[in-house]
Amino acid sequence: MKKFTREELKRYNGIDDPKIYIAYKGYVYDVTESFLWKGGRHQAIHHAGLDLTSEIRNAPHGEEFILKFPVVGILVD
Amino acid sequence: MAKVAREMVEKAGVNVDQLLELLIKNASAELTTYYYYTILRANLIGLEGEGIKEIAETARIEDRNHFEALVPRIYELGGKLPNCMKEFHDLSACPPARLPENPSNVMEILKVLVEAERCAVRGYTYICNLTAGKDHRTYDLSLAILNEEIEHESWFSEFLGEGPSGHFMRRGETSPFVSKFLK
Repeated sequence: MKKFTREELKRYNGIDDPKIYIAYKGYVYDVTESFLWKGGRHQAIHHAGLDLTSEIRNAPHGEEFILKFPVVGILVD
Repeated sequence: MAKVAREMVEKAGVNVDQLLELLIKNASAELTTYYYYTILRANLIGLEGEGIKEIAETARIEDRNHFEALVPRIYELGGKLPNCMKEFHDLSACPPARLPENPSNVMEILKVLVEAERCAVRGYTYICNLTAGKDHRTYDLSLAILNEEIEHESWFSEFLGEGPSGHFMRRGETSPFVSKFLK
């Protein structure tokens, strides 16, 4: 499985690359096809190209909304 | 713009630009849902569909009311709606509630309806959490909308066999919670 550093992940922010990725609990998910991640932003608050693990706490939904997306790699430090 | 009203919200620690973006996204979700529900309602036909048509119509009208109620608050806080309708559609806080592939399958239509309502319930819960104790007017409005969205969700959930809604359908007037913002 492809390994992404935090720096590499930043490229998939919805602006610098057509692919839109987010990281969650060590995995990198492809959210490109999601209507709710258009342009690399989600609900005006969350930004793609980042590790969003800690942000789920304030979200009005559970992790099932992230886990349904295809995994494209793992996040390494 | 209501300058002091915005100042008060900012001083309470709310990022008003972010809040405005959320309000506009949810206003879009309401108006686009109104549009898509028009199509869903038209396809609720036959022995199964006709029984749901009236309740889908109530949800449709109330979602339009939510749009109407949100717009003044957006402008009060210094925001505005996009000039382009397509842009407005595409920034919606919820995915389009499109007619399912098999429009004669009432259960599939109900799933679309309930998912749209669930998205709205999540969205207004989030806005309520963001504004509670800080932006009283937006909170009051969002809570009123949330009350109606929860009822919509429970109506469609009941038809999907997920258990009783605990509600009776509206008698007469629509938007029992939001109507005070429409006067």
